Amino acid sequence: MATRAAQIVSEVPALTAERPVTWPKRTKTRLANGLEVILAESHAIPKFNGQLCFRSGNAAVVNRAPDLAEMTATVVRTGTAKRASRQIEEDLRRLGADLSSSAGADTSAVSFAGLSELAEPLLGLVNELAREASFPEPEFERERRQKLEEVKLERTQPGFLASERLRKILFGAHPYAQVSPSEEQVAAYKRDDLAQVYREFYTPENALLVLVGDFDSATMLKTIDKVFGHWTGAQPAAASPAAPAQPRGRRVYLVHVPGAVQTQILAGCHAITRKNPDWIRLGLTNSLYGGAFNSRLVMNIREEKGYTYSPRSSLTPLRQHGYFSISAAVRNEVVAASLTEIFYELDKLRALPVPEPELADARNYLSGIFSMGLATQHGLLSQLITVALNELPDNYLETYREKVRALTPADLQATARKYFDSANMQIVVVGDRTQIEEQARLFGDTQIFDAHGNLLM
Amino acid sequence: VNQLHIAIESTTLTNGLKVVVAPDSSAPVVTLGVYYKIGFRLEPRGRSGFAHLFEHMMFQGSANAPKMQHIKLINSSGGLLNGSTHYDVTNYYESVPSNALERVLWLEADRMRALKVDDENLRNQRDVVKEEVRVNVMNQPYGGFPWLDLPPIAFRNWANAHNFYGDFADLDAADLGDVQSFFKTYYVPNNAVLLLLGDVKAEEGVALATKYFSDIPAGPIPPFADPAESPQTEERRGEVEEKFGTLPALAIGYTAPQRRTADWYAMALLDQALHGGRAGRIYRDLVLEKQIAVEASGGIDDLFGYNGPTQMVTRILHKPEYSSEKTLAVFDAVMHEAQDSGVSEDELTQLKVKWRSDYFSTLEGGHGGMPHYGLMHLLACFTLFDNEPQLVNTILDGFLAVKRDEIQGVAKKYLRPQNRAIVFRKPLAAKKEAA
Repeated sequence: MATRAAQIVSEVPALTAERPVTWPKRTKTRLANGLEVILAESHAIPKFNGQLCFRSGNAAVVNRAPDLAEMTATVVRTGTAKRASRQIEEDLRRLGADLSSSAGADTSAVSFAGLSELAEPLLGLVNELAREASFPEPEFERERRQKLEEVKLERTQPGFLASERLRKILFGAHPYAQVSPSEEQVAAYKRDDLAQVYREFYTPENALLVLVGDFDSATMLKTIDKVFGHWTGAQPAAASPAAPAQPRGRRVYLVHVPGAVQTQILAGCHAITRKNPDWIRLGLTNSLYGGAFNSRLVMNIREEKGYTYSPRSSLTPLRQHGYFSISAAVRNEVVAASLTEIFYELDKLRALPVPEPELADARNYLSGIFSMGLATQHGLLSQLITVALNELPDNYLETYREKVRALTPADLQATARKYFDSANMQIVVVGDRTQIEEQARLFGDTQIFDAHGNLLM
Repeated sequence: VNQLHIAIESTTLTNGLKVVVAPDSSAPVVTLGVYYKIGFRLEPRGRSGFAHLFEHMMFQGSANAPKMQHIKLINSSGGLLNGSTHYDVTNYYESVPSNALERVLWLEADRMRALKVDDENLRNQRDVVKEEVRVNVMNQPYGGFPWLDLPPIAFRNWANAHNFYGDFADLDAADLGDVQSFFKTYYVPNNAVLLLLGDVKAEEGVALATKYFSDIPAGPIPPFADPAESPQTEERRGEVEEKFGTLPALAIGYTAPQRRTADWYAMALLDQALHGGRAGRIYRDLVLEKQIAVEASGGIDDLFGYNGPTQMVTRILHKPEYSSEKTLAVFDAVMHEAQDSGVSEDELTQLKVKWRSDYFSTLEGGHGGMPHYGLMHLLACFTLFDNEPQLVNTILDGFLAVKRDEIQGVAKKYLRPQNRAIVFRKPLAAKKEAA
């Protein structure tokens, strides 16, 4: 009697030949009024995603008030010369569209997505918001009171308290140090201040319009010219605040939250912008350290030790400066143990070359997820915006993977030594001081704050 | 009206494993998912949180891929991976460059065939899960509000009412015997669907699925406890303390119609009328116009992804100068208006355009950088719950056919106090000041 042995494949199958990536074709142009336009076609669904982005954000007006550009963007959608707030919201729904307006440190943006068949009226509404926002007084007053509640609420979120404190430490007198206004500052916002920011920032010479989706680029370009062509306005003056110095010496900043049952750790140091030639090698070094699931930090403090659920390290590139940070929410008993491992892994990357097989894995990871990020309309949109805003070369997408694949163990070690500044890392811990102060003090001179930023000791 | 047709191929292997392939060669990326028809709703009694803890264990090692290997093999192929536990399903999914497809199939088949984990792995993941619960619930303002707060108030059947993230005592009590027995009971091929989406041809996908999965033996059809609720006859209310936040909050949940009934289609559009962003009636009334609330949002969560009782939930954070009862009265006025007047013809037209647009986005949508996640999720639910993956191409018609009187009808039938539960989240800080 013949028996057929189960054909269990017990060896890991090898990777087969790589299929080429078809890089999306882009149409780039500039309208006569200075508006820069980038289009890319993507026909998977009968929709399109877009962003009208202005190269000025909260940092440019922080001397007037923190988050003023964000507040401006919020009120922009609440009324125009032609449409009241309720009309705008219903018209968006009528167009099957989503729209949001917001501002970061360096940019203000109106983001939107809608049905291809209704692209022209949606672009018409976006154009209206960019040119004819009317800042109705009652809408402004409501949004200001909303903002007041939001700034109170964020002071109860450990993640916010940690990042606010780290930005203050790293950027000092630079506008990047201010991530959120106080209640008093919100109370002092004026409608006219918003309208002034709007007049300065929302101009075609300061703008970039990027659309990705199911359209014919030549036809879409004609529509864009018809809708946005008559808009005028100049580039706003840009200030260049003095560069902040990297704080020297490892220090600890404890934000005391009574009753916290966990501690949010956030440690960081200065790094670089995306324009810096070291960007890609630092990206790979970060990925290997704590930027991927399979990274050293995650394997150590999550998969081996179980200190935390979601440890990660990241690079935050702003226009003028950037920083590197490591975050982990850990149980209170293991704050010192977690920091020990965080620094151990940093110093190990500085001291020892990365074994070639581990580096090959990390290179594959970064180049694989890069092309994956381009497979949806929204993913491609955000990559195109990043390339344009940072004035990266036109072939950035096409050449990124080969640059990653060329990196060697020596490159990574040199990069870690240059940027993983463990001796000058600034450590923020947000938690209950009665549980964690003694552990935190082991890592440097310690200052203690409350959630409102008052120095306790 | 623009239509979208998704080409799909589906089959069932001899061991009962369902296979669905949705080819799309626009990018050299493939997303692979395995969905098991077991979520936290039907986890064992005395083991709250176990389905989720078990999901973590599935990354801890299988017969030929020890701990760390699974994650390492996906990441080093240039891919991403994750898993998540839902009410009625648990999923495991990867997006990889298409040259890694066989590797991922091998890994998923290996862990469907045999889980190989020890006490050390279980201790480790128990610790990780506790930090997950702390970071998402216990150490966050409004953590778990209202997704963990409402079920024990709204429901009487333990399956629907228990703590899905798990009481720590229950997590501590779980042992390796529980892990292996849960695996043997529910993680059988005839209780699962394998999905391949993206850069793979239909016949190639079926052939590879057969190659890697067909020798995994079927198990007995798992026993499923009945999640049905006894009829509700009174409004249900409860309170939860808010430890960090200072704004009072409340959430109102109305039990929703059963999936794919006529009421369900109408309810989904009513949900859009009530909760559809800033144009939705609840946000418009409570936040924009009356300015009582700071936040008012919600809806039917994961409309296609439930196979048992679920609710349409509104979450409201309101200004302290308004009482909870005043806030609720304003909310109730919005419900009464829907019952008395339904929606206008113009409003219904808007709702349907938006619904169609949102549905397309769901199908295209990525999740954590992984393309085709939305399509995968819908195909999995339509296969496991309805045995009809083609619903992905036809279900839209049901929503676009809803009429005005049907919307008013479900408003009258479902938006009643006897069909709802309310949880009040009371800030401790405010209580102390008042005392």
